[in-house]
Amino acid sequence: MNIVLRLAWRNLWRQPRRTWLTTGAMVFSNTLLVFMISLQFGMYELMIDNTLQVFTGHMQVQAPGYRDDQKMRQAVPGILPLATRLRDEFELDTIAARGWAFGLASSDERSYGIGIFGVEPDYEPGVSSIPGLIKEGRFLEDYDEPGIVIGAVLARNLRVGIGDELTLLGSGRDGSFAAAVVNVVGIFESGIPDIDRNFAEMPLGLFQDVFYMEGAGHQVVISAETLDAAELLLPQLVASLPADAGLVVHDWDALQPGLKQAIQADMSSAFFMYGILVILVAFSVLNTQLMSVLERTHEFGIVLSLGLRPGRLGRLVMLETALMGFMGLVIGAITGTIFTTWFTVNGLSIPGMEEMAAMFNLPARVYPETTFGTAIAGPLIVYAFTLLAALYPALRLYRLHPVEAMRIN
Amino acid sequence: MRMTPVLTRLAWRYLWRNHRRTIIMLSAIAVGSWAMIFMTALTRGMVDQMIADGISVLPGHVQVHDPEFLNDPSVANRITIPDRELAASFDGAEFRAWASRVRVPAVIMSERESRGVTLLGIDPAAEREFSFVSYDEVEGRFLESPDDNGVVIGRKLADKLDTEVGKRIVLMSQDPDNEIADRGFRVVGLFEASMPSFEESFVFIGKTTAQKMLRIGEATTEVVFLGDDYRDVDPTYELVAERVDGGLDVRRWHEIDTYLGTMLKVMDGFVLIWVVVIFLALSFGLVNTLVMAVFERVREIGLMLALGMKPSSILAQILIESMLLLATGLLIGDVLAVLTIQPLQGGIDISAVAEGMEMMGASSVLYPKLYLDDVVLANVVVLILGFLASLSPAWRASRYEPVEAITKVG
Amino acid sequence: MSSVRCVDLRKTYRQGDQDVKALDHVSIEIDEGGFVCLVAPSGGGKTTLLNAIGGLDIPDSGEVWVAEQRIDEMSKGELADLRLANIGFVFQAYNLIPVLTAQENVEFVMQVQGVPAAERREKSMAILEEVGLRGLEDRRPAEMSGGQQQRVAVARAIVSRPALVLADEPTANLDSKTSDELMELFTELNRHHNTTFVIATHDQRVMRYAKRIVRMLDGRIVEDLEQDAA
Ligand SMILES: Nc1ncnc2c1ncn2[C@@H]1O[C@H](COP(=O)(O)OP(=O)(O)OP(=O)(O)O)[C@@H](O)[C@H]1O
Ligand SMILES: [Mg+2]
Repeated sequence: MNIVLRLAWRNLWRQPRRTWLTTGAMVFSNTLLVFMISLQFGMYELMIDNTLQVFTGHMQVQAPGYRDDQKMRQAVPGILPLATRLRDEFELDTIAARGWAFGLASSDERSYGIGIFGVEPDYEPGVSSIPGLIKEGRFLEDYDEPGIVIGAVLARNLRVGIGDELTLLGSGRDGSFAAAVVNVVGIFESGIPDIDRNFAEMPLGLFQDVFYMEGAGHQVVISAETLDAAELLLPQLVASLPADAGLVVHDWDALQPGLKQAIQADMSSAFFMYGILVILVAFSVLNTQLMSVLERTHEFGIVLSLGLRPGRLGRLVMLETALMGFMGLVIGAITGTIFTTWFTVNGLSIPGMEEMAAMFNLPARVYPETTFGTAIAGPLIVYAFTLLAALYPALRLYRLHPVEAMRIN
Repeated sequence: MRMTPVLTRLAWRYLWRNHRRTIIMLSAIAVGSWAMIFMTALTRGMVDQMIADGISVLPGHVQVHDPEFLNDPSVANRITIPDRELAASFDGAEFRAWASRVRVPAVIMSERESRGVTLLGIDPAAEREFSFVSYDEVEGRFLESPDDNGVVIGRKLADKLDTEVGKRIVLMSQDPDNEIADRGFRVVGLFEASMPSFEESFVFIGKTTAQKMLRIGEATTEVVFLGDDYRDVDPTYELVAERVDGGLDVRRWHEIDTYLGTMLKVMDGFVLIWVVVIFLALSFGLVNTLVMAVFERVREIGLMLALGMKPSSILAQILIESMLLLATGLLIGDVLAVLTIQPLQGGIDISAVAEGMEMMGASSVLYPKLYLDDVVLANVVVLILGFLASLSPAWRASRYEPVEAITKVG
Repeated sequence: MSSVRCVDLRKTYRQGDQDVKALDHVSIEIDEGGFVCLVAPSGGGKTTLLNAIGGLDIPDSGEVWVAEQRIDEMSKGELADLRLANIGFVFQAYNLIPVLTAQENVEFVMQVQGVPAAERREKSMAILEEVGLRGLEDRRPAEMSGGQQQRVAVARAIVSRPALVLADEPTANLDSKTSDELMELFTELNRHHNTTFVIATHDQRVMRYAKRIVRMLDGRIVEDLEQDAA
């Protein structure tokens, strides 16, 4: 081993308790950072996936203005041929057309206002998790069947079961009165009360008839394999739309602005907390290295008077810090990974959190996972600040006068 | 006890012997405690605002419904006691306010569009004090009496419905026999609310008008009561529960909006965890500082022992030193926290993430809330844990043999 | 009555692979009002013996009696009380508490004893005057010369009028004039208050004041002489 390196290493162990305590501060923060960052980004991903897979998809083709106002007449004309063409062109089955309307659903005993989707029975399962969540009956099969699929809470509220009739009342595309009688063919349960209470799905063909859509719909939903794939797909999709149709494509960000902002808001408060942790570790290091420099003043005085340059002493102090920081980095990343892995296996659920989790489409028990990135990001930042904190004690050495230094003991 | 002044003076002087180390440690403690309090104030502010907003849309710290109503919010599950009788049983008690109202899901239709809303049939005079709509800032006018024929809707909803003040809309709901109950109304006012979703989901009409439209006579669907503090609703709950007969369901607000209820609890937990985490991050430095401080003066400790000071006094001296360090740091942190929170009292604009905050149920202006309880909690937790963390170095210091300590070569 | 009685003390230190006998069958009895000089070359065992008498160090074998109490079997707390009440110490080095001023150092023992503030002040001022440090009351040790520090230590040792004063090279850092003054002070205390002094020293001038001179070599007492003090 290099002599300077060995010297630095030995110096660290002159005060083993101090070195361990300082390293301990790093390990503590690093463990926490690895766990929190893994958990946080895991949750974001889950939040995005779970939210988008309910209805939103990765992007949608809509009429201009529809995203903000959802008015019936802001429609995409000839939506079925469009969806078919896109499916062919991109050789992708996860593209489906939809209409959306608001109406009053009445059973024999109750009436509730609900959101009604007109969906393509064949392709809806590719863009939405709802068809897979049918817990009673079946999903829609035919484009024109007079059937409807409703949420479990809505079914309970309306006091209907499979086979019962529902009357739908609402406004058609042109503002005229729209009405239909349909049969409940399926009941879905997502576990998210808002969705289970407020939505129903009927076949797009029937929907177009009932609401006088004249072949139009409101959204073509596109899901890609991954978020990244979706990003690549977006420009191609825009390009393939007929230029004169005046249609727009919104990605998930634009469709669910709340999602990204909730993540941003959460991130900024999380980063504030991480920042504080890192600063506290930096103070610890500053303290330790300053002490270790001060208590060696006499000895530094001697080597300086022997002709050593202050720069080399400064580098020695930085090297000591780097070694200590490296221990903190490695041990912290490892303990953090182990700690997180325990939860990867056993899951993490915070009592009382279920309600909050549901608000963001998260399951009550989450399984954080470390990747190399999440395991190393926090510790690296701590490491950087560790070195930064040691600069002051190291630079002080330049002001050291050998004679004065030797007088101190 | 007699020794305390001597020990305190010694501890304080020793603290400043190595002033650089003490200043660094003080800064760390100050930053740590500042962060504890600042962060807590922000989250408290957010949760308070969420709850304030949340409670404002379902006003009433304590609410009375038909037992079935919350599961099945239909006029079929209504409260048939007329207001006169309610007044007779409640007016004697000391509530800040109470009101009965009709609250049912409904569909609102303009010439072009329909939307689902929550229909509120209210007595405008009774709810003026606690409504989330400030009556005077309504475009047009607010409802004037329980039998007002107009409807007041949110501005956002009006946009979506393509309607405006003076135009007509139709409200549709069901009557107790599940016949469609509908009626045309003229829009008389548009309100604005702190959260856009409120503007889209609530529609106000007069209580008597609503009762007529829904054909429920003098019945209502809920009676709400306001106490003085939403955090402590039990007194109000007791008062109400005493006066309401067994057939009705009396609930505290957090039993109705469980999201907000758990939010409050989760935040309490969060505050504690945050305080402890910061403390732990600080504790390494604290113990380190004490170990160093003891190490530097082993000889002097030996001298004091040799002069007849008891080991317990040495222990006390180190503990006092640690407590002085912590208390000074905490004090600086507390002052910093107050100084930084004060200018933000007017609210922090976070509208950049407004829709995200709305997803959480929070509005886009954050008002930090500094509670004495939280400040005390942070300080006390740090002092107690700090005391415990200092025990080991202090104990070691008191265990030195005087001769060994004096002759120890530095 | 005897103030100090040591019976067959032995203390062995291990230094590397050899044993050093710091005290080798040492027995000595010192009467109340005694004024004894311990004289030995460096490493002769002076400090070890003083420490044993002061209860700072427990010998390997033998008995130590101070004020008719057997102290080598006392608990730490009892020892602390005994030192506080009966014994004044002047150490060879590291005598003062660096964060306290001269006066506070002198008051320290009294403060621990619980002497009221006013009395403490008065006594400490008087004693500082006696050791010639008037005007330096508010200096910290780092701001004083070695000799001045030594005098503060002496002042602290005698301020509460202990029955026994153990001094390890008290004049090591003093010039001849101040060391004479110091010894006059000790002699006076010895005469008027019957305070017992045990002083370890190489200093011929100090020896002149002693009533009894005990010479040690390699941990053994080799000579024990009464003499007429100067
Ligand atoms: N803690 C110790 N560890 C090992 N050996 C010791 C220790 N203390 C004293 N000794 C040894 O015991 C012997 C007596 O030491 P002591 O300090 O009593 O001598 P002294 O007469 O006071 O000398 P000086 O005049 O130099 O102060 C010496 O040989 C010394 O090296
Ligand atoms: Mg000696």
